[in-house]
Amino acid sequence: MSSETPSLQPIRPTRHFHVIDDEQIHQLADGTLEILAETGVHCPSEKCLRIYADHGAQVDFEKQIVRLAPDLVTDSLSTAPRYYKMGARSPSHDIDLDGKSMFCATDGCGIETIDFATRQRRPSCKEDVAAMARISDYLSSIGFYWPIVTAADHPSTSPLHELDASFNNTVKHVQSETVMGERLGKYAVEMARVVANDDETMRKRPPLSLLVCCIAPLAQDKEGMESALQFAEAGLPVGFMSMANAGSTGPATLAGNIVAGHAEIVSALVLIQMAYPGAPVFHSFMPGIMHPRTGAFLTTALENELPYVIGVELAHHWGVPTLAGIFGTDAATPGWQAAEEASTALLLCALAGAETGSGLGLLETCRLLVPEEIILDNDIYHRVRIEAAGLDTSREALALDVIKAVGPRSHYLKQRHTRENIRRRVFSDLANQSNPLGGMRDPVEAAREKVDWILKNHHPQPLEEVQQKELTRILAGAEQEIGGRE
Amino acid sequence: MPTNRPALEPLRSPYRIQYLTDEQLDKLQEATLDILENVGVKFPSEKALNVFIEHGATVDKNTQIVKIKRDLVFKAMKTMPRFFVMGARIPEYDLNLEEGTTYFTTDGCGVEVVDLDATQPRPSTKADVGMMARVADYLPSIGFYWPMVSAQDCGVTSPLHELEVGWNNTVKHFQSETIMGGREATYAVEMATVIAGSRENLRKRPPLSSLICTVSPLMQDHPGIEAAMVFAGAGIPVGFLAMPTLGTTAPSTQAGALAMGDAEIISATVLLQLMFPGCPIYHSMMQAWADMRTGGYVSYPRDARGRYGVVEMAHHWGMPSLGACYGTDSVRPGTWQSAAEPALDPFLAGLAAPEIVTGMGLSRTYTRLFPEQIILDDDLYQRARAYLQRMDVDDESLAMEAIRNVGPGGHFLGQRHTRDHMKTSLVRGVTHQLDSNSKYRDPIEVARERVRWILKNHEPEPLEASQQAELTRILAAADKELA
Repeated sequence: MSSETPSLQPIRPTRHFHVIDDEQIHQLADGTLEILAETGVHCPSEKCLRIYADHGAQVDFEKQIVRLAPDLVTDSLSTAPRYYKMGARSPSHDIDLDGKSMFCATDGCGIETIDFATRQRRPSCKEDVAAMARISDYLSSIGFYWPIVTAADHPSTSPLHELDASFNNTVKHVQSETVMGERLGKYAVEMARVVANDDETMRKRPPLSLLVCCIAPLAQDKEGMESALQFAEAGLPVGFMSMANAGSTGPATLAGNIVAGHAEIVSALVLIQMAYPGAPVFHSFMPGIMHPRTGAFLTTALENELPYVIGVELAHHWGVPTLAGIFGTDAATPGWQAAEEASTALLLCALAGAETGSGLGLLETCRLLVPEEIILDNDIYHRVRIEAAGLDTSREALALDVIKAVGPRSHYLKQRHTRENIRRRVFSDLANQSNPLGGMRDPVEAAREKVDWILKNHHPQPLEEVQQKELTRILAGAEQEIGGRE
Repeated sequence: MPTNRPALEPLRSPYRIQYLTDEQLDKLQEATLDILENVGVKFPSEKALNVFIEHGATVDKNTQIVKIKRDLVFKAMKTMPRFFVMGARIPEYDLNLEEGTTYFTTDGCGVEVVDLDATQPRPSTKADVGMMARVADYLPSIGFYWPMVSAQDCGVTSPLHELEVGWNNTVKHFQSETIMGGREATYAVEMATVIAGSRENLRKRPPLSSLICTVSPLMQDHPGIEAAMVFAGAGIPVGFLAMPTLGTTAPSTQAGALAMGDAEIISATVLLQLMFPGCPIYHSMMQAWADMRTGGYVSYPRDARGRYGVVEMAHHWGMPSLGACYGTDSVRPGTWQSAAEPALDPFLAGLAAPEIVTGMGLSRTYTRLFPEQIILDDDLYQRARAYLQRMDVDDESLAMEAIRNVGPGGHFLGQRHTRDHMKTSLVRGVTHQLDSNSKYRDPIEVARERVRWILKNHEPEPLEASQQAELTRILAAADKELA
């Protein structure tokens, strides 16, 4: 007996907001165009270099450097769709990137897990991807699913096993950030086709999308770019992310890091539009600042959060939707730091009009899965969602008749209006929960309990048996070609 | 030997958000006017009732309920100053209230303290008020000081003792939320005059302001309103704070609670403007929710909208606003809840731009002081401040030369541009401090260490000996009369 997946609750801000003015946007965009034209981007894929060259880019095949004239960049990007749909197994969970709502995903690609039962730290596995897909399926804050950790128990074909575990455990859209290379790409597209049932549906309501990381400074990843081309050919959305690190792989000023990182993203978006004009693409900028004493990539240093929001605005300047960087705390355990770092970036990105964001649920700068963290992040998400939604000042909400009836002194406990409306007020199911001793429960404990409850009680609509079999067959084929479980 | 104190760092942002639409603000104001005219507010003060009668309000002396027609409300509100000065002991720390600048204070009126090395709470004392005044004096995020806890060792004159120990430990503006009653306020005015130097200076740069709570639904507090009339007469800024609780002392819809709380604030404001036209007054509202299972007071449910709408309601009346930030329901600092609840507060406050905001540093719904919490709350503040500032985009920050030098591949470590900017590029909060093994330290430990450092090293400029003696004399007289 399967359970119903709750409706999505995206963030629908009642107002939007610019953190940067047009003049600064143009300064940043012009900086990016100047880098693309003069310095260029390294692209180690013969296939990609040919596409660039065929469409008028200046290509140095020996050094594998591509230079793009400003007009070529803007002409190429003019075919990119500003709005499109990311499909789900269940149509009611499709995501419309319409510029009005922000949908959020889990974080992804973690490598270790605090075990659900033993609470011991261990390498992540396929079963974790499946369990967290089920939890994500239940949470209304999660609009789509990133396989939250690596299926490290299937080393060679782990990205495909992550897809298998995801499609089998959530009806929501799945976005992979690990399917790299033509061989994996081919199988992933096949799997998406099985879930969509046919090519036409796959194009109209693609159940799978791909995020590819660029390499800072100013380089593309061969495997990533080639799988991106396969996805784009099949009509599956592809996005490109720069994680330029100010001070080590990017300049140590925020603006410099932004223009360098954007040159990577824009060069990749241009390639996809050259190869498949009109293919759905998205933009993602998640920079860091190098810790000067350790070299670490810090996502949430005090000054580093504004560039994430500027990334959202620049995506829109280039005319494509964005995947914003949200959550992703540097903290090692659920607690004060993880909560401190999360909500402002989420609210700002939503107010700036981000269409999607990632992601909830990991600690240690996107590396460690602690299962209850997603429940805590979910609570923060809803605080922000409600905050962004504005206030009801209808006659019923103003309650003038009730205020007149109660008058000065007295109380509102006996009023029908109170009985009807107090239940509609939204309280956290983690904070302010009484314990039997009269005190308050630790919200982290309440979150752990909720993880257990969801895993015990929520079983999303399964794939049809024939689809399950087909995915298993594709996985077997991939393992035979690429290599199996070690 | 006094130590250097960092300059104030108020929130100033080029960005602004309008939380409520003009139509919604008009609707809320109409509701307030409707309540004032047709339901009325109870004023348990003979003096206040007589003022209302003199100015033509409808007063029922028996029930002490005052009904105010809209014309009288607007006539009184017309004399309200939109901005004024909240003075400090040192002029450079004066707060010139103005559009787009937001000064924060500490939280106040806590009743328990858990010392840095302790695990169990104890009742708060006058020494705690002094200790936290010194910490607040040092922090650039704190523009003015609320006595964070109650000087419970000083009996009925504790509010005046809080004033004395506050002024002895900070040069910043002092705002009291505990001085109630006409006599108490008279002593406080005397003390403030000692600090200001003269009655004239007291009016020009008042080093003291007062915050008075109304009583929901639709009542004023007798000692509170008596104190307010004394303060306003001396030119000391007065604020009125409504704390309607949805479901018990207020309707269970936010708009209704806000309109009702607004009526409480505006009725008191009208009284003071009728008595002392042009006296400085500010507006404040902190709605809360009843937990229907326990009757408990919840300040941070998931749906806490309205927290910033009230700032716009104040501005709509032409008044400065004391916004409400922080005040977690968490029982101790450093927990997930203590960050999740207030994390958006300073950022949203910066966008709504109230002139003044309370308050950092207390746990357990404003009741318990852990000295390290103010440092954690300060970190949230500085994070918001960074967000609210415009980013540099110019030739130097665009770094085109460095990008061209490095080109594709490689790294920026060898660039002079990196050396020049890296020190200012990474702004470390309490979360990215390293230990001797290059691992990140526990932010709570870092916060405790910072408090210890401030208390060991920071000595604000003392009051002059004659001022100290004068304050002691006034306190002795107050103790004799009131205790």
